[in-house]
Amino acid sequence: MLLIENIRLALNGLKANKMRALLTMLGIIIGISSVIAIMTVGNSLTVFMNEAYADMGINNIDVMVERRMTEEEMNGQGYYSSGIYKEPTDSDYLSAQIISEYLDKFEGRADYIILQEYVSANSITEGDRYAYINAYGVNYGKLKMDNINLLKGRFFTENEMSGGKMVCIISDYTVDNMYDGDMEQAVGSVLTVPVGDKNYDFTIVGIYEYKQSQFDFNNTSKKDTSTNFYMPVTSAKRINHSENYQYFNVVPVPGTDVNTLVDDTMNFFNTKYYTESSPFDVWAYSMSSYMEEMNTMMNTMTIAISVIAGIALLVGGIGVMNIMLVSITERTREIGTRKALGAPNSSIRIQFIVESIVICIIGGTIGMVLGFGLGALGCKLTQTPVSFSLSSVLISVGFSLAIGVFFGYYPANKAAKLDPIEALRYE
Amino acid sequence: MEKKIIEMRGIVKRFFIGSPNEIEVLKGIDLDVYEGEFLAVVGQSGSGKSTLMNIMGTLDRPTEGSYILDGINIGESKDKELSGIRNKKIGFVFQTYNLIAKTDAIKNVEVPMLYAGMGMRERHEKSRELLEMVGMSDRIHHLPEELSGGQKQRVAIARAMANDPSIILADEPTGALDSQTGRMVMDIFHELHEKHGKTIILITHSPELAQECERIITVKDGEIIGERKGGGRNASD
Repeated sequence: MLLIENIRLALNGLKANKMRALLTMLGIIIGISSVIAIMTVGNSLTVFMNEAYADMGINNIDVMVERRMTEEEMNGQGYYSSGIYKEPTDSDYLSAQIISEYLDKFEGRADYIILQEYVSANSITEGDRYAYINAYGVNYGKLKMDNINLLKGRFFTENEMSGGKMVCIISDYTVDNMYDGDMEQAVGSVLTVPVGDKNYDFTIVGIYEYKQSQFDFNNTSKKDTSTNFYMPVTSAKRINHSENYQYFNVVPVPGTDVNTLVDDTMNFFNTKYYTESSPFDVWAYSMSSYMEEMNTMMNTMTIAISVIAGIALLVGGIGVMNIMLVSITERTREIGTRKALGAPNSSIRIQFIVESIVICIIGGTIGMVLGFGLGALGCKLTQTPVSFSLSSVLISVGFSLAIGVFFGYYPANKAAKLDPIEALRYE
Repeated sequence: MEKKIIEMRGIVKRFFIGSPNEIEVLKGIDLDVYEGEFLAVVGQSGSGKSTLMNIMGTLDRPTEGSYILDGINIGESKDKELSGIRNKKIGFVFQTYNLIAKTDAIKNVEVPMLYAGMGMRERHEKSRELLEMVGMSDRIHHLPEELSGGQKQRVAIARAMANDPSIILADEPTGALDSQTGRMVMDIFHELHEKHGKTIILITHSPELAQECERIITVKDGEIIGERKGGGRNASD
């Protein structure tokens, strides 16, 4: 009850001195709005980058067979040209069986693996029609990672996938270029793909929707855009006359500690298949550790700017304290009267603390709105989607409250301790 | 007039204690005030009557002596308890009205009830009644700066009555008013005394006003030098 009355009193006081109230709040407004604006832009940028990198598979672990590094190379003391040492060849690579053994062993941590085999980047032609393609052999994991959205047809069957059948999934762009966009006609048709000096015929089983990358800044025309041409990985292996895999990716189960999984993956292969005596070993790494560094950098920047905003808030708080002291001096007689009418010291203290909090909360709210506006503008300039966070709202309310209490306490206490007789006599 | 509402014994008040300019403002006051009495305290400025009023009103503590107000030993009460006593047992009326600025009449009257923890609806009703009693019912939402001196003092009297106090302490209530409005304010005090049976202590330097009261004590140089009966309400006419 007293609280509502105190808030009403404080608002009345502010209404009576509008200009003074606004100037007092200015410090708080500037401080809060800069904090919010910085947080908004910072958050949006982080969210945007994280999303973009997640699309690129930032948590994925790259696993590859390499020549074991010499002591000197490990210490960064020298580099020996590959001629001296034997580089791994197909027979030294990982077999499909070893990979599936790995997957069994790490079930629960490794979600699935990505296998891909590059075949060719070429154009396919038919009369005066042409389309640019990147031909890849892929497993189901790769199709999942690429987030393939089938417009027509189907994925590869198990039989096609393991049997190296000559089937393919092509983009809608390729269909536009080769079949005038007629998907009905395209599915089931045969496309001839040149690889080196040979031609291979593929039956089209599916058509996917081509999505332009977020990072594709060169505006290639639709006709000249090179799109992925997927075939079963076993088919690609057959074309390339190879059998084993030098390289694969692991997609961890969400929430898995990627760094430990990297170490455990290397241990698995290097203790079982590529022991000390082997001239080769398995090297695994993940981009996520680099990502963390970048996030840390962003955070440091945010903190640095927040410190500056904090100083603005401090200055604002001192302004509030100053005006509260002025207000209390002006209202000395009122304080004396209230005491004579039976106000205990605690009520006087609360009255002025509430007044200080009200100033800060109003300033904080104006600052928050202004900050969101500035943040949205900043996001527009950096071309990132705006993302407002609840935490910034909580921070601004929390900070305003804290400033109000902290800088209001001293003046309020001074008022509470006034001698009523002196106060009543004050002119 | 049996019950003593104020019982003061040997009240001494000194200021600047221990310093070379230490002064004794009250030099041992013995005073009894009975319930329902209309008492005048007269004396010239500097006589110590304001200090006496501050002590009566529990705004100040005596250096020596005992003070019992309505059965409560003030000397043994803590500051917080004194706030409660001022709130519920004493109604102050000041020479300079001391209404709270930018707050309308009804809200001003509500202030003591607020500190007494009274609910909003009850506060509102009581304030309205009190303002009606002092003849201010048509100006309940006027701000102090929109009221004349006499009107302000009437609001202040309504405020003094807010928590139905045992005594009303009025310090030169007509001091800043012309004689006509002063008369009106005095009439209200008489009404409070007669109709509501309030104990009223009027501090004044005017012998004419004092003459209207039932009992008059005269303070000089910190001592009570005289006590006599007054003429009552129509004495000064």
